Amino acid sequence: MWFRETHPTDRDLILAADGELSARQVERLRKHLAGCWECRVRAHELEAAIGEFVHLHRRNLDPLLPPPSGRRAWLKAQLEELASSQPSSWHRPVAWRRWIAVAASACILAVAGLMVPHSWTSRRQPAMSAGFVPISFPATELTPGVARAKTRDQVCGSNAGKNRDVPAALRRKVFELYGMPAADPKAYEVDYLITPALGGADDIGNLWPQSYSATIWNARVKDALEDRLHELVCRGDLDLPTAQQEIATDWIAAYKKYFHTDKPVN
Amino acid sequence: MADQPPESAWRLPVPGAVQAGRESPASPLVDEVVGLFDQLRDRLLRYIVGFGLPVHDAEDIVQEVFLALFRHLQLGRSRHNLRAWAFRVAHNQALKRREQARLGMQPLHDEEAALAGWAQDRNPSPEDQAASSQRRQRVLAVVSALPEQDRRCLMLRAEGLRYREIAEVLDISLGAVSLSLERSLTRLARAAQW
Repeated sequence: MWFRETHPTDRDLILAADGELSARQVERLRKHLAGCWECRVRAHELEAAIGEFVHLHRRNLDPLLPPPSGRRAWLKAQLEELASSQPSSWHRPVAWRRWIAVAASACILAVAGLMVPHSWTSRRQPAMSAGFVPISFPATELTPGVARAKTRDQVCGSNAGKNRDVPAALRRKVFELYGMPAADPKAYEVDYLITPALGGADDIGNLWPQSYSATIWNARVKDALEDRLHELVCRGDLDLPTAQQEIATDWIAAYKKYFHTDKPVN
Repeated sequence: MADQPPESAWRLPVPGAVQAGRESPASPLVDEVVGLFDQLRDRLLRYIVGFGLPVHDAEDIVQEVFLALFRHLQLGRSRHNLRAWAFRVAHNQALKRREQARLGMQPLHDEEAALAGWAQDRNPSPEDQAASSQRRQRVLAVVSALPEQDRRCLMLRAEGLRYREIAEVLDISLGAVSLSLERSLTRLARAAQW
């Protein structure tokens, strides 16, 4: 380490600035700096270099970061699903606990069903018993559509644009958000409004429950449109932002436009 | 299909009682991992983007990191320095993803382009635009010329990791971290004096 007549190295100064020296070394350095303008200036130059780097690092990367909310909800749903399927070493005791929990939940739901306020039942129950209001569009407040890819290359690469399974917990959350907690999951596809094949994001604002069969404009028809738009984008006949915008705002109009028909093609 | 309602009627009204953001009960472990996501997500994303990967790939990697962290904790494994653990997994995943991209399996942003993007001042004030442009170019030149390990050390330190954590993430000695940071900062300080 340095003495009055020898100066600290750059490494010593950086270690001190980073809090990586012992208290005794820090005190010794402090005394040296008190008497040495040259080292004080050097310490300042190194601090300024750190400041410059950190400033550019944060200022220029932060605007690239998308808001965390969509991915956060997605992660939470996946974690809840993992939490409900415990590691294999815990399998036996947990299986019993899970059965008990499921049974208890069923009882609670049954009791809750009897206690639901009238304003809720009167709004939702008739729709439930009638087999739901057919849904061909999402509620724009809940599902505005979220895109992550902006260029053709991002969705037309060999490994790009694969659809992913929506975790069960997230599917349940989407049903809850749409006021359909008791919906039959087999009757609805929790679908991406802008499909990942067209650069749609894994974001809860890009998901909605779409009926497989309640209307002629159902999930299977939309799947056909998604394939068609992907093909057009990758062939260079349609630009990606237009495809994303059209499918997000009115996919039925887009279907009619790109299939040149007024009703779904079988 | 004459009995079909008009299309506009098929939009489901948003139920007033069911609002976005309503949370379902979660396990304490889920809450803990989501809390760590809130703390570390931006730092991890910035670090991964520095590998030249597109932002959405970086987001996928961050997602994988926290799923792996959950499984790690669920199995009762070590809770020692979870921040360094998360960065180490992110680092390894980013290396793997970049290697796949180089083999042509996935798109990759050129690392030089990523660094150029890193050094681009997006909101310069008119008065310091010229001076800051020159300074940026110098910083970019220095950072681009750094050996990869030095650049990683610098980025990790900028994200708040201590030397011991950086050593753990990059699997190098404490001395190597110290030497690497000294090399980088000395060069950056010299560039600032040009």
